[in-house]
Amino acid sequence: MAMLPSISGARRVKIVLLALLCSIVLVLPAQSRQLLQQVGIPLADVVAVPLRALTALEGSIQKVWNKYVALQDVYEENRRLQEQIEILRNQNHELRELAFMSHQLSALLEFKGRLSSETVAAQVIGLDSTNWYRGVVLNKGQQDGIRAEMGVLTLSGVVGRVVKATKYSSVVLLVNDPNNAVPGLIQRTRDQGIVLGTIGGRARMRYIPLLSTVQLGDVVATSGLTGAFPKGIPIGTISRIEKEDDDLFLSAEIVPQVDFTKLEEVLVITALPTTAEETSEEFDGATP
Amino acid sequence: MKQALFAGLVLGLVPIQSTVLQHASIGGIRPDLCLIAVCLVGFLTGELSGMMLGLALGFVQELFSAGELWLSMVTKGMVGFLAGVVSRYLANATYAAVFATMMGMSLYSGLVFLVAERGSAGWLEMFSTVRFIVLPQAAFDAALGVGVYWLVADRVRRSQIKLSSPYPLGE
Repeated sequence: MAMLPSISGARRVKIVLLALLCSIVLVLPAQSRQLLQQVGIPLADVVAVPLRALTALEGSIQKVWNKYVALQDVYEENRRLQEQIEILRNQNHELRELAFMSHQLSALLEFKGRLSSETVAAQVIGLDSTNWYRGVVLNKGQQDGIRAEMGVLTLSGVVGRVVKATKYSSVVLLVNDPNNAVPGLIQRTRDQGIVLGTIGGRARMRYIPLLSTVQLGDVVATSGLTGAFPKGIPIGTISRIEKEDDDLFLSAEIVPQVDFTKLEEVLVITALPTTAEETSEEFDGATP
Repeated sequence: MKQALFAGLVLGLVPIQSTVLQHASIGGIRPDLCLIAVCLVGFLTGELSGMMLGLALGFVQELFSAGELWLSMVTKGMVGFLAGVVSRYLANATYAAVFATMMGMSLYSGLVFLVAERGSAGWLEMFSTVRFIVLPQAAFDAALGVGVYWLVADRVRRSQIKLSSPYPLGE
């Protein structure tokens, strides 16, 4: 049987010290998180430099390939049409939402104010560095007013929320990640629930009232109950309806509105309209 | 030299993992370059180096991930340490042994994440995650790891023998 070579004294001390450090981090995660955050922010800024450089290089190569090697005209036309489709789809959702609200109290028209949310445009420069979260890295951070828990969207709908922000970059947890939860509202029936991500890369709306008349194809939008998003931003379309085990609620599988594999430019909501809260109160008070 | 190499790995691997590697994904699974690097460093240069690189790489990786700031750091540090310990037991590091070690480390790392992040999920969801994410990721990591090992092992061993032997290699 082979003998295990012994570790020398100094190395043993270093290993024990490192193991002790790990133990402290494990035992006191909340306390150590703050310290790690402090250490991490400057380090993240340094690592962000090669990250940006690689993204720029990759973008240049891809651009050259797409524009000069691949079919130039088809690519350009396709991109323009895709943009138009995105804009029209968004307008369609806005009009549908506004049409419904026009049948409600006139005070609900104040919800148009949410479209004037303060936003910051950011570019996606990378994916989550592990396979364990569905996330993207943005090229803007605290310097541009981005903070954790802010909502992120595109013209198509909800993308996710910011979970980490350093000076020059930020990490967004996508709406289809199982660790994410967004309060949702079925546009047609006005039933509310919570939209959670699934392992399969879709989303699931839970806690829909059992007597809801929800149907396949119904659009789910944000309910505006919590701070990150204003009301009415599309999340996705219902593709399957199921009963929960205890039969107290329905749940529905949602196909997200945004194609997360093609995310390039996003908007981060840095401030919601100040009138949203008042409008919401009026809405609650007027609903029969 | 070693410090420069470690600094290069810490600063360079995570950006590559976040950007270029998305083109190398199979079925949405990307190899974990940081885990492969930590495992190989632990395997080839010992548990202390492996653990230190693991802690540093894990920490930087978490800065560009949605996860908590300690989980990857501790897991990768442990992977580097364990890889170093395993290499002490192996009289002959065959490619099969490296593959098995790498796969074991990736499985360990995956299961730690699974328990820590999806611990409250049902058994069906856990099983599904193991089947569709943890196992393919481990196989992918191990295959790529053996490839990198094949490229660097001889060079590292030669430099180690040169350093430890009073007679220059080849004389």
